[in-house]
Amino acid sequence: MASVLWRCCCRSVGSHRPEISCARNRFLVSPVLEERRQIQYLQSWVPGTRACRSRGTEAFCFSTSSSLFFPKDYSLFWRTSPGFHYIAERMYCCGKAHNNEKNVDPFKLGQKDLKNIYEDIKKELFVSTDELKDMCEYYFDGKGKAFRPILVLLMARACNMHFNNCREMFASQRSIAIIAEMIHTASLVHDDVIDGSDSRRGKSTINRIWGERKAVLAGDFILSAASVALARIGDTAIVSILSQVIEDLVRGEFLQLGSKENENERFAHYLEKTFKKTASLIANSCKAVSILGCPDPKVHEIAYQYGKNIGIAFQLIDDVLDFTSCADQMGKPTAADLRLGLATGPVLFACQQFPELNVMIMRRFCLPGDVELAWQYVQQSDGVQQATYLAQRYCHKAVAEISKLHPSPERDALIQLPETVLTRTK
Amino acid sequence: MGKVSVADKMRIQTRFQSKGYSGRVSSEELEARHCEENLSEGFIYDSRNNLQMRGLVVLLISKAAGPSKTDDLSLQHDMVSGIYSSQRSLAEITELIHTAFLVHRGIVNIGELESCDGPMKDMQFGNKMAILGGDFLLANACTGLAHLQNTKVVELVSSAIGDLVQGIYYENSNLPEESSLTDDIGIASWKEQVFLSHGALLAKSCQAAMELAQHDTNMQAMAFEYGKHMSMSHKLNSDLQPFVKENAGNTSAFSLNSAPVVLHQEFLGREAWIQQIRETQLKGRLLDFAKLQEAIKTGQGVSAAIDLCRYHGNKALEALQCFSSSEARSALENIVRAVTRFP
Repeated sequence: MASVLWRCCCRSVGSHRPEISCARNRFLVSPVLEERRQIQYLQSWVPGTRACRSRGTEAFCFSTSSSLFFPKDYSLFWRTSPGFHYIAERMYCCGKAHNNEKNVDPFKLGQKDLKNIYEDIKKELFVSTDELKDMCEYYFDGKGKAFRPILVLLMARACNMHFNNCREMFASQRSIAIIAEMIHTASLVHDDVIDGSDSRRGKSTINRIWGERKAVLAGDFILSAASVALARIGDTAIVSILSQVIEDLVRGEFLQLGSKENENERFAHYLEKTFKKTASLIANSCKAVSILGCPDPKVHEIAYQYGKNIGIAFQLIDDVLDFTSCADQMGKPTAADLRLGLATGPVLFACQQFPELNVMIMRRFCLPGDVELAWQYVQQSDGVQQATYLAQRYCHKAVAEISKLHPSPERDALIQLPETVLTRTK
Repeated sequence: MGKVSVADKMRIQTRFQSKGYSGRVSSEELEARHCEENLSEGFIYDSRNNLQMRGLVVLLISKAAGPSKTDDLSLQHDMVSGIYSSQRSLAEITELIHTAFLVHRGIVNIGELESCDGPMKDMQFGNKMAILGGDFLLANACTGLAHLQNTKVVELVSSAIGDLVQGIYYENSNLPEESSLTDDIGIASWKEQVFLSHGALLAKSCQAAMELAQHDTNMQAMAFEYGKHMSMSHKLNSDLQPFVKENAGNTSAFSLNSAPVVLHQEFLGREAWIQQIRETQLKGRLLDFAKLQEAIKTGQGVSAAIDLCRYHGNKALEALQCFSSSEARSALENIVRAVTRFP
C-alpha cells in the first residue's frame, strides 16, 4: 500500500516538473543503487550529528519531545530502506482504511473548519488606529495557503477521533490554529523587513508600503495579540509549548546569519535552522491540539513527530521551489535565497558534486556573478532531486507516524497531506 | 538571565540601540541597589541606571505587598527577602520587554534615508540587528512568562506589549517627518497615548506581581494604579526638564508633543500657537528652539504640566495607602517624591 502511495506521489511530482521525472524514473528502476548513493552521502554527516548530540550542544536538546531531525532509529531507517515499504506497511494499524484515502482532499476536508478563521483572527487584532489595523490585517486576507491552520485543525480532529471517536472540535483547539497562523504571520512580517523583501504572495510587503519602522511594530502587535489569545486558553502547558515556538523562530533566524566551514556541520546547521524556523511551529501546534484533545502522551509524541517531519519536508520543498519555480507562481522572486546569501538544501547537495561552490557558500554569494554561477551549478547537479528525495523521506516518516492513530477521515487527510506538500508548485 | 548576553554582544554591532541600557538585568543587582535605600533623584536620573526603574518598582511593590493572607505554605518557601521568585522573574521580564522596545524604536525607514546618513548597507545591517535583537528579547520574555505558570499573568503582560506597540505607533506618527510640525492633540489624548507608551507596561506588571502572590483584586487594582500614575508623573517630569532646568544656556531640541507644549497650545489656542511657531521658524522647516522655549516658559503650559505631574504623583501615593507601612513602601513613595520635585 505504502509503495503504491509512494509511486503515486512520485508520478505526480514528475508530471509537474519534467526535469525531475527522469531522475525519479531512475530511482524507480533501480532503487537499490539510488539508495546506496544516498546512504553513503547521508552517512557522511549522520555521524557528525551524533557527535553533536553526545556533546550535548543545544542543537539536539529539544524540550520534552525526542531528539531532532534524525530519530535514534534513523540510520537504521536508512540502512533497511530497501525493506522500508515492508516496515512501513506493518506500522499501519489498519491498512484497509487506506482504500478510501485517495478520495480525501486535505484542503477540502479542512475547509469547513477553516471557515471564518480569518474573521476570528481579525477579532483578536483589536486596535484603535486604523492604519495599524490595516497593516496587521494585511496578510490575513484569506489568499494565503492556510497550510498551518488546516494541518492543525485536521490534527485536532484526528486526535479527538482517536481518543474517543469524538466528532467535535474544542474551541481551544481552534484557537491554536488561529494562534499558529498569527505567529507565522508575525514572523513573516519581520522576516520581510530583515531580508528587505518587496513582494510576498503576489503583493507588496508591509515594509514596502508602510516602511520598516511601522512594519516591525505591526509584527510585534500580531505577536502580542497571539500571546493574549494563547493565555486565554488558560492552560499553562499549552502556553509553554507555544512560547517555545517563538524562541525557536528567533534562534532559527540567528542560525541563518552564520555559516559553517565544515560540510557535515553545515548540513546539520541547515536542518537545525529549518526545524527552528519552520517545523517547530507546526510540530508544537500539532502537539498542543493533541494535548487538548487526548490525554495519551504517545499521541502527543505522534502529533509532534508528524508536525516536525512534515514541517521540515515543507521547507525543503520551499527551498527546492526557489530553484525550480518561476516568479509568477511563487508570488515572490526566485533564487531569493541565493541573493540573501543563504545556502539551502539544493545548494548543499550540489556542493557534493561541485566543490567550487564551497568558497561561494562561505562568502555568502556576495561577489558579482556568484548567484548566477551557483544557480548554474545547482541546475547541473542533482541537488534539486536530492533535496526533493530527502523531503520525501521526511514525508514518509510523517505518514508512518500519523498512521499509528485510529482511522478517521481527518487522519487519512493527514496521510494525504505530505503528497500535496511534495507536489506543490507554490 | 544569562541568555541576554547574546543580545549584549549584538548591541555593540548595532548602531540604533538606545544608549544607556546597561545590559543584563539581574534582580539581585536591583535588590542590592534597593538595599542601599538611596532611592532619590540620584538613582532615577543617573543616566546609566535609569532604565532599570521598571524592574525595581515591580520588586519593591512585591515586597511592599508581602505574602498573601490566603497564601498556602507551598509558596512560602521560595520567598527570599519578602519577594517570591516568580515576582523576581516578572521584574526581569518587565525590563526585557521595555528594552526590546527601546531596540525596536531604533529601526529606521530605509527609504527615507539620505546619502548623508552613511552607507546604506550599514543601515540595513543595523536594522536587521535591531529587529533580531528586539525579537530575541521579546522571545525570552515570552518563555519567561510561560515559566510563571499563570495564564492570567501571561494575558496581562502580553496585553501590555500590545499597548506598548500602539503607544509607540502614536509616538511614531507624531514624528516631525510624518506630520506638519505639530499635531492638534489635546491633553486628554496626550494622556491616553502616554499611558499606552509609558504607563501600561509598568501598571500591568505591578498588577501581575500581586496576582503572582495571590493577592485580592483590590490589591491588584491599587498596584495597577500606582504603576500607572507613577509612570505618568515620571513622563511628565522628563517632559518638563527642558523648561525647568536652572542652566537654560544649553537649549536642546524638545518634542513638540511633550506635555508642557501640548498644554501651552491648549491655553493659547491652535491659531495663536501656529503663529508662534511661524515666528520662531528659521530657514526651511528648522525651528529656533531657544526662542520657542522662552515663549512657552512665559505661558501657562509649564506650570499646568507641573500641576498635572503632582496630581498623578498624589494619585500614586494614594494607591500606596492600601499597603501596610514598610521600608519598601517608603521607597516607592520616595520614587514618587523624586519625580514630583521641581526646583
